[in-house]
Amino acid sequence: MNLEALHTGLIETLSLTLVITSVAAVEMRRLKFSIVAYLCQALLIVGLILSFAAVNRALYWWAATALVTKVILTPWFLFRSIRGVDDHEVKPVIGFGPSAVIAALLMMSFYHLTHGRGALLAPTEMAQLGVFRTNLAVASTVFALGLYAVLTRRDAIKAVIGLCLLENGVHLSLVSLAPGMPETALFGVATEVVVTVFLLLYVVDGVRREFGSTDTFRLRELRW
Amino acid sequence: MAGDMLIETSIVPAVVFLLPMLAGTIVFSIPGVGRAFQQWLSVLTAAVVTGLGAWMASRILQGLVLTTWNGELRVDALSALMVIIIGGIGLLASLYSVRYLAARMAEDTTLRRMRIFHGLLMWFFGTMLWGCVTNNVIMLYVAIEATTLTSGLLVAFYWDRRALEAGYKYLMLLTIGITFALFGCVLLYAGAAATNKLAGGSALLISDIRNVVPFIPSGTAAITIAFLVIGFGTKAGIAPFHPWLPDAHAEAPTPISVLLSGVMINMALYAMARTVSIFYPAWPQVTVFIVALGTFSMLLGIILALAQDDLKRLLAYSSVSQMGYVLVGIGLGTYLGCYGGLYHLLNHALSKSLLFMCVGAVIYATGVRRIAELGGLRKQMPITSVCFLLGALAIAGFPPLNGFWSKLTVYLALARAGMWWAAVIAILTSILTMVVMLRAVYRVFWGEPRSSGTSALAAREVPALMWVPMVVLAAMCGLLGIWPQGPYPLLDRAAKVLATLGR
Repeated sequence: MNLEALHTGLIETLSLTLVITSVAAVEMRRLKFSIVAYLCQALLIVGLILSFAAVNRALYWWAATALVTKVILTPWFLFRSIRGVDDHEVKPVIGFGPSAVIAALLMMSFYHLTHGRGALLAPTEMAQLGVFRTNLAVASTVFALGLYAVLTRRDAIKAVIGLCLLENGVHLSLVSLAPGMPETALFGVATEVVVTVFLLLYVVDGVRREFGSTDTFRLRELRW
Repeated sequence: MAGDMLIETSIVPAVVFLLPMLAGTIVFSIPGVGRAFQQWLSVLTAAVVTGLGAWMASRILQGLVLTTWNGELRVDALSALMVIIIGGIGLLASLYSVRYLAARMAEDTTLRRMRIFHGLLMWFFGTMLWGCVTNNVIMLYVAIEATTLTSGLLVAFYWDRRALEAGYKYLMLLTIGITFALFGCVLLYAGAAATNKLAGGSALLISDIRNVVPFIPSGTAAITIAFLVIGFGTKAGIAPFHPWLPDAHAEAPTPISVLLSGVMINMALYAMARTVSIFYPAWPQVTVFIVALGTFSMLLGIILALAQDDLKRLLAYSSVSQMGYVLVGIGLGTYLGCYGGLYHLLNHALSKSLLFMCVGAVIYATGVRRIAELGGLRKQMPITSVCFLLGALAIAGFPPLNGFWSKLTVYLALARAGMWWAAVIAILTSILTMVVMLRAVYRVFWGEPRSSGTSALAAREVPALMWVPMVVLAAMCGLLGIWPQGPYPLLDRAAKVLATLGR
């Protein structure tokens, strides 16, 4: 009984830290620190999946895949893309103050939604448990923060980090929504994100050479 | 419906998508192969795929369903139709690309870049086919995201400012959009698994999920449908999720534009139809929502096309509009609607590929694609101008060409379903399409030659390897117009798969 409470406490602490790392990844002005924040988040996700794996053994595979794709490959690609260039982010559309408020509001509303009406989003029986509801709330918050970063950040690399956060949110939700998913499907889903990040950074590198910066506001030759 | 079909285990559904994957891998992994080998390997692969598609169709017409790997892959009439469309258009596009790319990239193209082009083209081809033959709902998402990844660098292939911008937007927007589809697919899986009524079936296989969908709670069903429509709708270029489409379709090399506009968006719509149509019997009210989305797409697409001066962007916006027709037809869920929608899907693939190839021919001959800088090309390029005229009339739904029959079917289906407002918008859009297309035909091919573009005066008809695919497509448009019952056996069975609401 006591162990179970500890387990729940661990999961909730990890979840909260996850949200903090997301905000950090979105808000850090130096891209290098932003990537470090993302790396921390990836490590936390692996830890979180491992702690869920105590309940559902199938998740060990998921944790291993996440370790390779999220902790090793993605940050490596990201670091490679900022090597040798000024890594100060192009000033975003919305600054730190409003962002923090938006993040807090998102978290509260998702927590409220999943705990009040969890059955809507998560039809499985397991997802009705408290820990999984918290997991869903955190997953939705990370997803929304990623989307927010993609929409409001001018720097292309920051947008790619936002995309990674968004995907992390989705993958986190799979823990609750699709516990019995076979490894091949999980492997396919996880691999594609890494390939997406690689290709996007490859194109962003081309953009930097051609336009002289990674400011997406300069990408405006094609209108209408 | 599914019960009375005989299931046959066959390896062909796997071969049909693994073959292009293998061809792409060969192109990438053998460094010494020459350009000609790559080109003809693409053509040969596409030809074999088309043949296999036709073979599968002939088996299916005998009342069979082909499956592989314990039902992981499943080819029914709808899948076979898609395989034939992808194979056929892919064959013509790769034939077309032989001369087109050689001319466009003559000076600075290294063999390495050509290898990237052909390798990715084959993989793009393979992933699209995979999406059409898979029966696994998660792999459907994986395959569709894979088509984005394999085509991303093809869109940005010219690597100049415009191509890079288009490539960045393409990868970013489509990845985000398709993530919603992942949510939708996962919810569909979780919802089906939670019903506990699968009776030995798998919650991953669409053909098994079909049977338990009525037991999914309606709240979950609503969210699932919304996610699936947003996700696959983004990929299909349905307005308001279309902003990536004109950029990508216009900036990609023309053979890729042909595949994006003629095939890829169709295939995304196929994925949407596959997954959403299974909800109709339990929630028929969804159809109104889908039809409204389709009419919005057709109207917005053609209005934006009216304002275009760039020929390729004009065609791209027209695709947004035409996808609306297909969505309206399929979204109705009735037999007549699905028949009309699928028929229009086929016709749009033919006529839009034709139009993009003609514009590619104009670019090839003159180096220009702005309507204002073109004019009077009819004398120098007679074949291209006749083909473009035929394609334009077909897409505008001018009788007796193929587009007329499919649009007429969609109108009739709308009227029978009592959605007169949608039928009126559809007819209005058709008139606007006629205006947009004929204006382009008149300005580019008839009218006075523009003196400003010196290259335009020296324009000559394109080489045979380019005009032959165009003539084939134009002939198909005409043939299906005077012989609309030709594809009936296959379309009939395919429509029955989707027509979950009955007649």
